[in-house]
Amino acid sequence: MTYTYDVNKQKLKVILDEEIDVNSCKTLRTIIDGYIMKYSPKVCELDLEKVPFMDSSGIGFIAGRQNLAKMLDCKFVLINANTNIKRIMQMYEKAKGSA
Amino acid sequence: MLNETYIKIKAKVENISLIRVCVASFLSNTNITLDELQDIKTAVSEAVTNAIEHGYENDENKNVEVEMKLAEVDQMVYYWVKIVDKGVGIEDIELATTPTYTNKPELEHAGMGFTIMETFMDEVQIDSAVGEGTTVTMTKKLKTIKS
Repeated sequence: MTYTYDVNKQKLKVILDEEIDVNSCKTLRTIIDGYIMKYSPKVCELDLEKVPFMDSSGIGFIAGRQNLAKMLDCKFVLINANTNIKRIMQMYEKAKGSA
Repeated sequence: MLNETYIKIKAKVENISLIRVCVASFLSNTNITLDELQDIKTAVSEAVTNAIEHGYENDENKNVEVEMKLAEVDQMVYYWVKIVDKGVGIEDIELATTPTYTNKPELEHAGMGFTIMETFMDEVQIDSAVGEGTTVTMTKKLKTIKS
């Protein structure tokens, strides 16, 4: 995982490059929340281009970061998710909508 | 039977990725598509995660058993997998399989594990008894004939 923070745009960009499952989520959650708390960015961008695999643990992980960003009045953006990740996220959005 | 294997792992979350590698390796001699492989890896990952996190409540001294088979019927290849834990069991299977239901919201669980298994696999069977454990059996018909 790498990250950049653009001071002028107040934008935090986190590039993930590993499989996202219940194991990796534990560490990623702590680190990313730390960055968000440290910088209080206006925009937080999570780049998933290099994520080869994600299961439902990743849904909770992403939703948790979205909630934290929202609480801090920060815009949360997810970019470059592959087809499989999009499919899982859409499945969750649909299920949540009909729950 | 084209092939079969049996793996026993310690109930450690670090071992979930190991099982995904085993799944990919086990299916490497078929003409499986990348989409099919991704579906199976995701479904198995969900079942093993449930066994460790819910079945054993992260007790690393326990074991999760994974059995896989490949069978050919009428030139079609079928993948079969069974994930077994001898943990706490599921009290209400209908509730547990309800999309977005989770009994551990504080851990940011999305409650989508069974929904993903049921969507990505052709057949999912859950057998569970409180105090005895849970067995999840899943089958998927692969689109291509064997290589």
